Amino acid sequence: MLKKRIIGVVTVKNGWAVQSFGYHRYLPLGKPECLVENLDRWGADEILVQVIDRSFDRIGPDYDLLGKLARLGLGTPLIYGGGVRTVEDGIQVIQCGADRITVDALLHDDLAQVVNLSKKLGAQAIIASIPITKTSDGLRWLNYRLKNTKNISIDPLGELIEDGVVSEVLLTDWYHEGIENSFDNSLIDLFKYKKVPLIVFGGISRVGQMKELFSIQNVMAVAVGNFLNYREHAFQQFKELIASEALRQETYATEYSLLTDVRN
Amino acid sequence: MSYLTVGIVDYGMGNHASISQCLRDLGFRVRISHLPEEFNLVDVIILPGVGAFPAAMKTLHERGFVIYLQEQARLQRPIIGICLGMQLLASASYEHEYTVGLDLIPGEIVSFGNRCWHIGWNTLECQPYDPVFWSSDRHSFYFNHSFYYQGPFEYQAAVARYSISFAAVIRRGSVVGLQFHPEKSQITGKRLLKKLIMGLVNA
Repeated sequence: MLKKRIIGVVTVKNGWAVQSFGYHRYLPLGKPECLVENLDRWGADEILVQVIDRSFDRIGPDYDLLGKLARLGLGTPLIYGGGVRTVEDGIQVIQCGADRITVDALLHDDLAQVVNLSKKLGAQAIIASIPITKTSDGLRWLNYRLKNTKNISIDPLGELIEDGVVSEVLLTDWYHEGIENSFDNSLIDLFKYKKVPLIVFGGISRVGQMKELFSIQNVMAVAVGNFLNYREHAFQQFKELIASEALRQETYATEYSLLTDVRN
Repeated sequence: MSYLTVGIVDYGMGNHASISQCLRDLGFRVRISHLPEEFNLVDVIILPGVGAFPAAMKTLHERGFVIYLQEQARLQRPIIGICLGMQLLASASYEHEYTVGLDLIPGEIVSFGNRCWHIGWNTLECQPYDPVFWSSDRHSFYFNHSFYYQGPFEYQAAVARYSISFAAVIRRGSVVGLQFHPEKSQITGKRLLKKLIMGLVNA
């Protein structure tokens, strides 16, 4: 049975891991590679590293950071987002050690590049990152660089999702990001593309909230960022308290030696 | 004193960083190359893979790996395919267009269906006759694919369940394909990968 996932999110700005609040206020946490290493040790189901200033400055993916992460020898699948502009960028990000890529700014800038990325790497490697919020006009899609929003339902983005160019959508409640227990579940009801698997993110901090989200059929993963930083071993605690058949139970140790003993 | 050397076939698309680091952590020497002759002295050959089947086969042909790997399989040298690398071991694939594969394990690669991907952690159901995989029965591994192997049951050493039950591990003698990523499956993946390599070398 395919398990649902809890994804640990590390947000990076100016080379530093930060806590992010509503896409406008940031508090420094430390070196991103240290946070990623912790998530790997804690048994996260997947790790998402989103570098939020690369597309702002149009400077491409953060290969330096990807190199540092590759040297950690992560045993956990890595999703990378930030600065991917072309197919070549995408290929290089994968070759540097990422397993999948999120695209956000590129969805606003050049959908043809997203289609080409999908053809080259396979749709399973591409995730559409869509920050949204609910207003009286319905769902509004945030362009985080321009700080404006537009109606999502009339956009060609919908065709891209329906055509299967991306394998999952990272649906972020950006307005509630960083506010405890505040993710707006109605965003999922209002998001009209029901067949695409969803990763939900933004203001998810409580076990009960996670259980409720996991009970929604097309929610395949819950992503948690800030709320992993307030206590030690937060990830294990989430998994232990949720304790569902729908989630993987990690193995933290093995009696079978993984140390070097392979001389012949 | 020498250590076992694992050769990783470079055909331009793979995420070599993860698998090579994982193998080094397990204590193996690693050699990555796009030249077949570089693999003559390695103990195990690994065929990793990300991307589409036709493009991968095209590059394997261009770099002379198709005939080389078929010859090595006949010599019963250990070969492990991972994810797309597993699919390349089969006779053919229907991804994008019908493409002939390495044909080291009889069977075809077919789609789960339109807009259907198998992404995430899933449990293996292993055949008890294969001691290398039996110890991983009911353990979870990380998958990321939209096509799967369809072929004789005698080559299916483990299955996983999704919309259907499909082959997660295929094996024919010293040639083994893993549809999941052991290098991204934390301790369970490392344990399986090491047991598999040691089992193949000591067979």
